[in-house]
Amino acid sequence: MDQEALMRQIVEQVMSAMNKGVSAPAAPAGGRMTAANYPLAEKEADKLKTPTGKPFGSLSYEKVLSGELTSDDMRIAPETLEYQAQVAESVNREAFAGNLRRAAELIAVPDERLLEIYNALRPYRSTKQELLDIAGELDGKYGAKTAAALVREAAEVYEKRDRLKKF
Amino acid sequence: MKSKRFEALAARPVNQDGYVQEWPEVGLIAMNSPFDPKPSIKIENGRIVEMDGKTRADFDMLDTFIADHAIRLGNAEKAMAMDSLDIARKIVDINVSRDEILDITLSVTPAKLTEIVGKLTIVEIMMGMTKMRARLMPANQCHVTNVKDNPVQIAADAAEAAVRGFAEMETTVGIARYAPFNAMALFVGAQAGRPGIMTQCALEEATELQLGMRGFTTYAETISVYGTEPVFMDGDDTPYSKAFLASCYASRGLKMRFTSGTGSEVQMGYAEGKSMLYLEARCLAVTKGAGVQGTQNGSVSCVGVPAGVPGGIRAIAAENLIAMLLDLESTTSNDQTFTHSDLRRVARSVPQLFSGTDYICSGYSATPNYDNMFAGSNWDADDYDDWNIIQRDMRIDGGLQPVKEEDVIKARNKAARALQGMFRELGLPPITDEEVEAATYARGSEDMPNRNVNEDLKAIEAMMARKVTGVDFVKALDKAGFPDVAQNIYNMLRQKVAGDYLHTASIFDKDFHVYSGVNAPNDYHGPMTGYQLSEERWEQIKNIPNAIRPEDI
Amino acid sequence: MNFDEKMLRSVIEEVLKEMSSASAAPAAKAAPAASTLSAGEMSLTDSGEAARGVAPDEVVIGLAPAFGVYQHETIIHQPHSKVLREIIAGIEEEGMKWRLIRVYRTSDVSFIAHDAAEYSGSGIGIGIQSKGTTVIHQKDLPPLSNLELFSQAPLIEMDTFRQIGKNAAKYAKGEAPTPVTVRNDQMARPTYQAIAALLHIKETEHCDRDKKPQAVTVSFK
Repeated sequence: MDQEALMRQIVEQVMSAMNKGVSAPAAPAGGRMTAANYPLAEKEADKLKTPTGKPFGSLSYEKVLSGELTSDDMRIAPETLEYQAQVAESVNREAFAGNLRRAAELIAVPDERLLEIYNALRPYRSTKQELLDIAGELDGKYGAKTAAALVREAAEVYEKRDRLKKF
Repeated sequence: MKSKRFEALAARPVNQDGYVQEWPEVGLIAMNSPFDPKPSIKIENGRIVEMDGKTRADFDMLDTFIADHAIRLGNAEKAMAMDSLDIARKIVDINVSRDEILDITLSVTPAKLTEIVGKLTIVEIMMGMTKMRARLMPANQCHVTNVKDNPVQIAADAAEAAVRGFAEMETTVGIARYAPFNAMALFVGAQAGRPGIMTQCALEEATELQLGMRGFTTYAETISVYGTEPVFMDGDDTPYSKAFLASCYASRGLKMRFTSGTGSEVQMGYAEGKSMLYLEARCLAVTKGAGVQGTQNGSVSCVGVPAGVPGGIRAIAAENLIAMLLDLESTTSNDQTFTHSDLRRVARSVPQLFSGTDYICSGYSATPNYDNMFAGSNWDADDYDDWNIIQRDMRIDGGLQPVKEEDVIKARNKAARALQGMFRELGLPPITDEEVEAATYARGSEDMPNRNVNEDLKAIEAMMARKVTGVDFVKALDKAGFPDVAQNIYNMLRQKVAGDYLHTASIFDKDFHVYSGVNAPNDYHGPMTGYQLSEERWEQIKNIPNAIRPEDI
Repeated sequence: MNFDEKMLRSVIEEVLKEMSSASAAPAAKAAPAASTLSAGEMSLTDSGEAARGVAPDEVVIGLAPAFGVYQHETIIHQPHSKVLREIIAGIEEEGMKWRLIRVYRTSDVSFIAHDAAEYSGSGIGIGIQSKGTTVIHQKDLPPLSNLELFSQAPLIEMDTFRQIGKNAAKYAKGEAPTPVTVRNDQMARPTYQAIAALLHIKETEHCDRDKKPQAVTVSFK
């Protein structure tokens, strides 16, 4: 039944074999994260925090039961996504890293607003000005530069392709 | 006179399936269409100005998005200039590494990708899959649904599926408003069966995100992309809205993948006269450009369309391979009925099952097909032993293992009781002992008593209004006397804070260790390399309970 | 989107030998937007842009572009005239009013139903495609969500259509009806998917992205 233990054993074998060849450098203090630091939850737990500023290592089941931790604490922080983006880049996944960085910017946007913005980006939902206003909000209010750039790009393309609000 | 032999053949299941002739002009052709564009690229000032025979002025929305986001420009002209046949040969050459292939294939256009895989036979496609999938070891995903949307049964079926080996589970609804119950039942059932299983609920896009944000699910998959602009619009999205949505998920620490598949454009009426595979290559380029870690593809729910035309099942394997050539997690369908013939349905799964993919099925129906609300899977609960014995026959790891009846009954019962306790603590309509008993021993929803659907739907509305989240599940389960299940839910929520499982092709083991394309990359480069069955795993797979032991005779 | 009508028909005929769409198809090319097209036991007439309703006791039924005009029966050969009659009867049984619109901008049944809901004074609409796929929708839900979805057209029989009308009317009255029992048949796809694709191509041919929903009058013969 214990397929997982087995997987772990195999992975460890492979990893150790790989490490014997070209040993991946451990992340220098304050340096960039790489595949060698992954999984961060195990290897870099002391560097991770919740968006509410609590150290990852301080999270516990008991604190959830006592109410000391709420669902607001159980979320990912922008710095963590940046670390994960660095890990992705270390294995040549730069498109994925870009998505994680755009995501890091969106952490600050509240759930309800995020859903509204997503819906506004769907076809025939918004005028060009409405999309540009959203880009302005992402940029100005949340510092979400790459997300704002994506929305501006969409506004141009939707205009060209006749996908703006019709009626 | 009628031939008796032909009469018998006509009555065979295979002749109940629907077939159509190729019709390339409207896109009713699987791959290698004479109307597919010829690969081309022109780059000026760091920008693609021509792609696959179109100049930028003629780009539609997908072309624009792909040209601006999906192709590595640095190596593009060189890669595009290479002979597609040479690239195809490198794919099956064990002396050319996965990384070397990716250097080429991440730099080419959709038409080029289509042309490359068009040079491969089905066996060569399988060799390509063995080398190119992202994760070292294969895994499997299941569907857990039922026609009554009965949450107790979902919990029990999930627990059983967990014991049987699935790493991921997906539910969906008959009645859309039931979604929150289905999602929480799946979450609890899976975690009661085996810690660390990821769960999702397939829904309308915004609704699916909302459930993820609330902690009802841990990943998402039903984020559909399409290969032509009009169909994308009918899917109520654009490449830009989908790219934004991808970031929304990651911003909440949720793993996600896109979904696409051959045939959807024909199915939805706008194929623009291109082959199904070329349009799928465009979908995959959009997926890559959006920065998503993976895809569920392989025709998926449109499988009847490619399966109806010549070479369609080969095309499905080819589209899986294109996903891998784009370094995407490959979750390879095998999840929808497309035939009355048992022979055809096994043959359809051979490429993915024998080669191994990140998730061979997406998913395997963990219920009998009459309860499968994705309109039936290619494999269902009644096939569990067939799957196990095929693994044993071929000495392959399809992600499942034989189980003991008493273990399954125990797991089903525990999951049903845990959900019963959680419902009680959350003030939801009661789950009776009779329902727990029925779910423990049920084959499917025909064995389950009916719930009061209206009362459930009202309770769901109220529960969502008072903003219940995954954290409340933890507390309720602890209070109900299931601290181990509660701990597992807590651990899944905790993983969202760290984000390790956002990476390509991730899975968790029962101790919440993550394995992905980062720390468990596929390193296949010929015989006796890559994933090898360990002795321990082989013992698990081969020891079916009904094999006669020589020493007993 | 200009498929060869003749070729399309020949393929459909090949797959669906008994399908009887031949008589209607020649009218397709010639049909102007607001003409009356006789369709066996029913005629449907566009009568200008549909109005957004205010009556809280109405359910709007949204028809896909080809419904009852270019196609006349569902994928399992249920005549559109009977289908529409059943839905209407279901609504009337609950003492509610109904109104028809035709949606041109899309052939997607969820959007059609959502448009119908937006035009409905009660906020409840029904969308129906020529092949029979049907959705009950509410205007404040996302377009691709729904109140009730009948996605497997081959499983929708006449009594289901009446039940759909009844339930839509009940939602419009603010009641919470028990959803129509969901049906599921895993063998519907192998049997029907290729045919469904062809029927949908044929529906989509009649879309007009820039055309607002039109009011439709119906007379049953």
